[in-house]
Amino acid sequence: MSLSKKSTVIVENLRKKQMREAISTGKRLDERSLDEIRPIEIELDVIKKANGSAWVKLGNTEVVAGVKVETGEPFEGLENSGALIITAEVLPIASPHIEPGPPDEETIELARVVDRGVRESEMLDLKKLVLVPGKIVYTIFVDCSVINVDGNLLDATSYAVVSALASCKLPVFEIKDDKVVDTGKTQEPPITTLPVSITTVKIGDYLISDPTTEEEACMDARLTITTNSKGSIVAMQKGLKGSFSIDDVKSIADKAIIKGEGIRGKLKGMINIG
Amino acid sequence: MQEVKRKYVIPGDIVAEGNLRPLVNVFKNGNSIVATRIGITESNQDGAKVIPLSGIYFPRANDIVIGKILDHSSLSWSVDINSCFAAHLPAQDIFGRDFSPAHDDMGRQLSTGDVIVARIAIFDRTRDPILTIQDKDLGKIPTGELIKISPTRVPRLIGKRGSMIQTIEHASSTRVTIGQNGIIVVSGKDKEGTTLAINAIHMVEVEAHTSNLTQRIKQLLNVPESEIENDDAQTSVSSDPTINQDEINSNSKDKEMGMINSNGSK
Repeated sequence: MSLSKKSTVIVENLRKKQMREAISTGKRLDERSLDEIRPIEIELDVIKKANGSAWVKLGNTEVVAGVKVETGEPFEGLENSGALIITAEVLPIASPHIEPGPPDEETIELARVVDRGVRESEMLDLKKLVLVPGKIVYTIFVDCSVINVDGNLLDATSYAVVSALASCKLPVFEIKDDKVVDTGKTQEPPITTLPVSITTVKIGDYLISDPTTEEEACMDARLTITTNSKGSIVAMQKGLKGSFSIDDVKSIADKAIIKGEGIRGKLKGMINIG
Repeated sequence: MQEVKRKYVIPGDIVAEGNLRPLVNVFKNGNSIVATRIGITESNQDGAKVIPLSGIYFPRANDIVIGKILDHSSLSWSVDINSCFAAHLPAQDIFGRDFSPAHDDMGRQLSTGDVIVARIAIFDRTRDPILTIQDKDLGKIPTGELIKISPTRVPRLIGKRGSMIQTIEHASSTRVTIGQNGIIVVSGKDKEGTTLAINAIHMVEVEAHTSNLTQRIKQLLNVPESEIENDDAQTSVSSDPTINQDEINSNSKDKEMGMINSNGSK
């Protein structure tokens, strides 16, 4: 049972009934169809001191991601790979239901799911980010702040991280006299693919994509699927205690691939990469 | 008809100068009346005030509000009234003076997520507002479509002496329950009428500060020209002070034209 604070969002019984009736007719309360994703807006380089940053607006949900590149020791067992660390926090200004303090269960899950999508898709070729094998590697931090909550933080944060990473400029470090020196030059990050996550939730017997906060308060189960540029599934996360049938999962996976391709096209256009 | 002067202001702007009484959303600084909210000014012989264009709901005693039951303790329900204050509905309000937490099951009367229309019985800013549902037309709302608008648009939605809302109710054959806190429940026999009423309410919310709104609402609702004239005459006078306090809304074209005069001569 989740002890998360966000689960305290209470939707009026009248509104729940309205939502269920609307969904059963194929429309949602905000006039979207069941699998329609809210408009996405992306602004790049919003944080001047970061190596890359992106501000993503998915409907009313807003997330800012910043990339900072440093050098450090590689992770144990991954001596020949750069280090990638993705964190997320939901700021108290983002919603009346968020309190300051250590991250709650859902926020920890948010960072982990977004991290998994980027890591498992091998979006960044971390093997190219090694300076001295086993000793000094590039360490890339991607820190996300959710600044407005209106549902589907998983996808919005994922798009913010992918946009920030894909548009960042890595500083060129060199080793001189056993010391790391910043040459002042920059290089493109070694991007291999663009992972896109699509979250689908189940309310009653219906599957809906990109839920709002209200819809999330009524959902029985949630499934997030991340696909790469080839349309292969690279990561999945199921949430809540409700269940999906095999057919549900197949249908969600198909949608994740098709919708993911559409969003990837948008991201490419907005980030200006090929 | 007394002359009404209007202009748009932001906090700190001077609303009027002279020996006027500061009414609402303004303060007096020497000989000037200064605005404390973004809105439209209004000054006449009675004093000067600002009618806000944005903002949260601030509770006032005797306001009718629509609230959502969040939870209950052994003595009261806590109710979300779309404000910075959480309201409380005492259990004694429903069970009477002989209420006993040991014998009366509060969860059976009102449970989490239920929607109630209530009156703010007591509110003095030092403690959270206390609600009551012991009055005509108050209590749990069993059916209807719930929508939310900005609380600052509520007076415009009601209209002068309730004219706007009566027009909407009449044309869409629905019953609209409006809370001063911006929560509205629309109940009607058919889906079509309810949708029409909801569209009209959203239009009022978006275009509350524009001129000729009443005419456009009537066009949206397909009110025949002959009825447009009759509507004003039929409107009953409401004793609700919150309705009368709204002077920006008016069916009279003159007043509406005056309202958009942002240069508003002083």
